Amino acid sequence: MQVHARARDYPQSQFGGVLPHEAELTAGVRIQPGRSYGFFTDTTRCIGCKACEVACKEWNNLPADNVGLTGMSYDNTGALSANTWRHVAFVEKIAGPGGGPAEMPPYQSQWLMMSDLCKHCHNPPCLEACPTGALFKTEFDTVVVQQDICNGCGYCVPACPFGVVELSETDGKAHKCTLCYDRLKGGLEPACAKSCPTDSIQFGEIADLQSRAAERVEQLHGLGVASAYLYGAPGSPGATGDLGHLNAFFLLTDAPEVYNLPRAPTRASNRVRPSLATGLATMAGFALAAIALLGRRA
Amino acid sequence: MSDAYRGETYYGRSQLKPSPFGFMVSLYIYLAGLSGSAQMLATIGDLFGGRAARGMVRRGRWLAMLGTVCGPALLIADLHTPQRFYNMLRILRTSSPMSIGSYILTTFGLTSTVTAAAQFLADRCGWRRLLGVARAASVPASVAGAGLSVYTAALQSSTSTPHWAVSPRSLAMRYGASSLATAAAALSLGEHRFGDPRTARRLDALAFGALLVEWIASARARGDLRRTGVAAALSGSAPERLERAAAGWGTLLPAGLFGASLLLGDRGRRASRSASLLTLASGLALRHAIMLAGNESARRPAASFAMAQPRNLPHMES
Repeated sequence: MQVHARARDYPQSQFGGVLPHEAELTAGVRIQPGRSYGFFTDTTRCIGCKACEVACKEWNNLPADNVGLTGMSYDNTGALSANTWRHVAFVEKIAGPGGGPAEMPPYQSQWLMMSDLCKHCHNPPCLEACPTGALFKTEFDTVVVQQDICNGCGYCVPACPFGVVELSETDGKAHKCTLCYDRLKGGLEPACAKSCPTDSIQFGEIADLQSRAAERVEQLHGLGVASAYLYGAPGSPGATGDLGHLNAFFLLTDAPEVYNLPRAPTRASNRVRPSLATGLATMAGFALAAIALLGRRA
Repeated sequence: MSDAYRGETYYGRSQLKPSPFGFMVSLYIYLAGLSGSAQMLATIGDLFGGRAARGMVRRGRWLAMLGTVCGPALLIADLHTPQRFYNMLRILRTSSPMSIGSYILTTFGLTSTVTAAAQFLADRCGWRRLLGVARAASVPASVAGAGLSVYTAALQSSTSTPHWAVSPRSLAMRYGASSLATAAAALSLGEHRFGDPRTARRLDALAFGALLVEWIASARARGDLRRTGVAAALSGSAPERLERAAAGWGTLLPAGLFGASLLLGDRGRRASRSASLLTLASGLALRHAIMLAGNESARRPAASFAMAQPRNLPHMES
């Protein structure tokens, strides 16, 4: 990426405070309320360093979930949770006959790594399920839980089609990625994207990211990676079932399920009307039957 | 017919998070349905049943207080920040059955309390005029009661939990039918014990019909689960077996007993009582089995990946 022209204004290596519109220097984007922001996570560039996980925990003051080893791969984080808002998945593609290791492709490219997070759906099922209004859409088109309103009912947890939101046992509130709402307000790039050393995580305006992602897919196809595709961009897997596009979308090279992503998630609130209507019709039928049975009186 | 999901998973780890709801919420769903439907039957008895239904009307109004008192207590106890329970009425969100349900429960609770209080004063102090107040309050209470009997199905279906999400219509029918069957069974018990045997028989007939509707709706739900591949991922699990028992024997056995009792006439009281008790037990078992099966389906990636296949878009049921 090109260095921004404003970089020349700051030749020193130590600063007295936060630079105005710092994201312009680090991500090439000026953050303004009323516009749509998100992440494009290009998994072909992920090296599995987990800097994003660490940066997220550091900035958001999140405690460790568990400090043991899962024993399944280099993924010792396991899953997104109330305290883990970035999670790097590790998949080793070894499919040799008889279970033994197959021929190793060059550059360790049998490894798939993906930094997962809240997708910040265009039509977020967690928000649509929230009965208190704690979940809301910010001025940056991201989805955030207001901690001073959430009463820990937990309905957003099963509503999420990606298994992202979780209740914290510590404080009894729902937690998930805020897309660094506080940093965006201060003109800063989100912590995970800023810390990503390979630009696998790219922060920016959605329209810009989507065209950048489409170019990247073309480029990869040209290089012979025919399996590259977008997940969560309009019209692609992940952006199905009336969810709309995902503000945090991905470039993948294997089936969504391999990365623990649903191929065709749906918008849960579309089921409210058919279910309620059928239920009330059933009750109306029973009411008529009860009138017929109990009403035959002298 | 579709089969189990046989594709890859991420080390067999869950793709979804199960709801944090457990037995307290299952019990709430059960009591809400029982009370809501009891209020509806009491109002119908009051408006159309004449003198003979008076006892049933009174007992139905008392039964409605069960949900009014226990419902909010169970729900608030289940919150993880219970001191903020009032935030449930901070907004109305029509896309959230939990928000809709908060208003249904509030309306039901207030109107049912007025109904029961007026009935109590009319009975105890002889203020017969208050029966008009009871009747006026019981009409909105029974409309809310009908909602209370079924909105919990919409609440579960409007999630991404596979077992609940794939059969929104059938689940609502199951809950509606089970709510009505349990309410009729409870009122029939009271009628046999203290009241009018003819009213009891009519309630038995109602419970009999509702149990058959529940059985049919459960069979439909089973079809939804099979078609979407969710059933295969759950087969053999403990919640699935409990659900089968509750939806199968739990409906057919009491329905058979109610049928026998209706054929036997006056000699059928014991059969009716057994049927009522079985209906009441299987209603709770059904709610809890569906709760557990839903949570288990969210834990199993084979269930969530089976549901989230393009062939299950956009309408997941027939």
